[in-house]
Amino acid sequence: MSEDEDGVRAEFIAEAQEIIELLSRDLLVLDHGQKEGHPDPDLVNSVFRGVHTLKGIAGMFGFNDLGEVAHVLEDLLDQLRLGRTDLSQNVLDVLFEGVEVLQRLLGSAPDAPRPDLDAFFRKVGGELGGAPVVEPDLGAFGIDTGVLSVLTEYEEHRLKTNIDQGVPLYRVRVKYALTSIDTDLEDLKTRAKPIAEIITYLPSMDGGDDDAIELEVLLASRATADELKIALALSDDAELEAVAKREPSATIPPPARVPTQTPASPPTKHPSAPLAPSRDAGADALSLRAVAKTVRVDIGKLDHLMNVVGELAIVKSGVGRLLDRLRGDPEQRALIAELHRIHRGFERHLDDLQDGVLDVRMVPLGQTFDRLARAVRQVARDHGKEVRLAVSGADTEVDKLIVEELTDPLLHLIRNAIDHGIEPGDIRERRGKSRTGTLALNAYQKGNHVVIEIEDDGAGMDEELIVQSAVARGAIAAEGSADLARVDKLELIFLAGVSTAEEVSDLSGRGVGMDVVKTHIARLGGVIDVHSQLEVGTKFTITLPITLAIISALVVRAAGRTYCIPLTVVQEALLLDPADVRTVEGREVITLRGATLPICRIAQLFGLTPQAHDDERRGKEYVVVTSLGQRRVGLVVSGLEGQQDIIIKPLGKSLRKVRGFAGATDLGDQRVVLVLDAPSLLEELFLGGEARAARAGASA
Amino acid sequence: MSGAIQKRDTVLPAPLGKAKGRAERMGASTSEFLAFELAGERFALPLGSVREILKLSPITEVPRAPRDVLGILSVRGRITTVIDLRKRLRMPPCEPTKVSRVLLVDNGDEILGLLVDQVYQVYRLHEDELELAAVVAGDLSDYVYGIGRPGGLEREGGGDDIMILLDPEPLLRR
Repeated sequence: MSEDEDGVRAEFIAEAQEIIELLSRDLLVLDHGQKEGHPDPDLVNSVFRGVHTLKGIAGMFGFNDLGEVAHVLEDLLDQLRLGRTDLSQNVLDVLFEGVEVLQRLLGSAPDAPRPDLDAFFRKVGGELGGAPVVEPDLGAFGIDTGVLSVLTEYEEHRLKTNIDQGVPLYRVRVKYALTSIDTDLEDLKTRAKPIAEIITYLPSMDGGDDDAIELEVLLASRATADELKIALALSDDAELEAVAKREPSATIPPPARVPTQTPASPPTKHPSAPLAPSRDAGADALSLRAVAKTVRVDIGKLDHLMNVVGELAIVKSGVGRLLDRLRGDPEQRALIAELHRIHRGFERHLDDLQDGVLDVRMVPLGQTFDRLARAVRQVARDHGKEVRLAVSGADTEVDKLIVEELTDPLLHLIRNAIDHGIEPGDIRERRGKSRTGTLALNAYQKGNHVVIEIEDDGAGMDEELIVQSAVARGAIAAEGSADLARVDKLELIFLAGVSTAEEVSDLSGRGVGMDVVKTHIARLGGVIDVHSQLEVGTKFTITLPITLAIISALVVRAAGRTYCIPLTVVQEALLLDPADVRTVEGREVITLRGATLPICRIAQLFGLTPQAHDDERRGKEYVVVTSLGQRRVGLVVSGLEGQQDIIIKPLGKSLRKVRGFAGATDLGDQRVVLVLDAPSLLEELFLGGEARAARAGASA
Repeated sequence: MSGAIQKRDTVLPAPLGKAKGRAERMGASTSEFLAFELAGERFALPLGSVREILKLSPITEVPRAPRDVLGILSVRGRITTVIDLRKRLRMPPCEPTKVSRVLLVDNGDEILGLLVDQVYQVYRLHEDELELAAVVAGDLSDYVYGIGRPGGLEREGGGDDIMILLDPEPLLRR
């Protein structure tokens, strides 16, 4: 395949992916609406259009299987939106399965063997062709036959449904300037949405002049005329009247679907009127416009931009240093002032640029949450459990790279929660809980971090079972395991091979997973904590940096070397009083505001030998209090140089096995400085301690 | 002196007559090598494997790194690992001097820097000026590709410019 074709293919996949995600989101809302008893017909139509578009582009790019699946889904959706099939849970199941199938087809290689779609096609076929609907007589209403004759099939269906449900109809005449009609109409639709359904709008026959056009809008609403007037912000010259049901009369001809059968009245659609094309085409045009406003960019290009920003920051600090050197010179005062001004301006714009580039990388977590919501539905059904998903903070933004890497760990946690956490309905009732379990997915920003919580109100975890499992698998020594704090016992589930599930299910409980989840999160510079209470529930809290690209760091010195510590893990820094240091179980600790804080000397940890010109050897020492999740440690350094924004760059592959460093950064004065990897250091310090304790226990 | 001298002494003359004839006939089959010094010895790498020669800038040491890693430096914004070639070839280490240089080489996965004592010059060697490996014994054999003798075998004395040709692939693989 040529590069061009690859590019086109990638473009298709990206677009199809977007559509599928949108479909999934709409279906979830629809599912919710169906359960509550009033599904939004607009959503059915939106899903229909999405599938329709997907069918079109799939055909264009030769994704025939995908196109075929989209086609049968389109048929089903068409029947749904026209009311020929009822939106039942069964139908929704088929639709959700359809989205899964589409996703799978999109993910598979172009030359992969054709999957067996027949079973799915049969399922869709089973839902097609429901009972015929009893149609109300549209002619019984005071609606212009000219209007009736040009309704699209969908519009006609909506009109009938509203009449069926006894929703009063209104006719509104509004006049819009030709220049602003698009935005005016959008505005009207938005205003109408909460209280009324717009069935159709057509240019009226008599109104309108060269600059303005008069529209006749047919509305269905349970609100009163006055309420509508206010809600729609209608101007005084707009007419609003209720469409009354006429006395049964034989004089009105039955509504005709085909315009050619229309009696006397000429077609109301003026060919040159901007609203002339059918509504579906109008929607397509809208979506095309939306696409034109966004650009898909390879994240690599953004990384490159970020690098350029970094280089510029180095240039900036170079100029700054030059300025400092010039400052003493009284003869250059005017020049210095000018240079200072330029430098400040440069700094400001550079900050803007940096913010801009970072902003581009940010995407809302909502996309990931939608995928998870689909999984929740699926897993819950597979296990015959009733689960309600409560999502909050879907608009929380995170670096694109982080979002990509998050899906798998989150999926794993959610499966665990449904499989092991949430109990079957009967057991829940016996425990005095509602039959339906709740799985909450919350995201929010907290300083430079994003916190994601996965919380279930299920069975909770038995820490003694975890300890037994950990001991059985040799992850920890049996001796002393009983003395572990409760929190530490729960943390054992993150060790490889440890599981709480007594029985192995196909989904989770095989003892692989939680350690992988933890590794995944740690690779993103994040941490995961767990809280659990038996019969009350379990909550996992994931704390992640917002971006991987630029971070603020504390620049410190140890044994004559300079290191950076990401500020996100630094709680505070304070002077170390040697008199405060005590030794507990072979480890140095200090007491900080009543709490014991283990300390760790960077120079010792890294085996640094003092350098010849190291004048700090007998000087002051500082404690940088570092925390991640529930763990804290004080890193002892010999100097604090201040705070700086840095771009972390990866170390080369030959240094990949070196633990303790997240990367290196260029501080701008030709100094390359290592950035400490706080998660791995904390883990090393704490696990090291546990390993020592375990060894001590074993030899005792 | 270093073990490398003795190793050179153990070199067996290879039957090169045929190759020499061909090289003379065709006037081709030359390869270019960049020669440099390590602990008083002359070594060379194929010129094609060397991307750039850098003067020494401050190198940041990396605690816990393998023994022969000198540290890292930034080459136009990219963090580059620098290997002390003396240490990799198990020669006695020494402090870099003014003439020390870092050769940037690509091992396929990443660009590495190699610290050498001094860079000499580029040699164009004909086939008949090369003795291919399997003739050098000892520690270095894995890394050695052959021996280069500018002027060929016949030249009396052989002289100062005999060089050990290093094979970049195994040298940089670890």
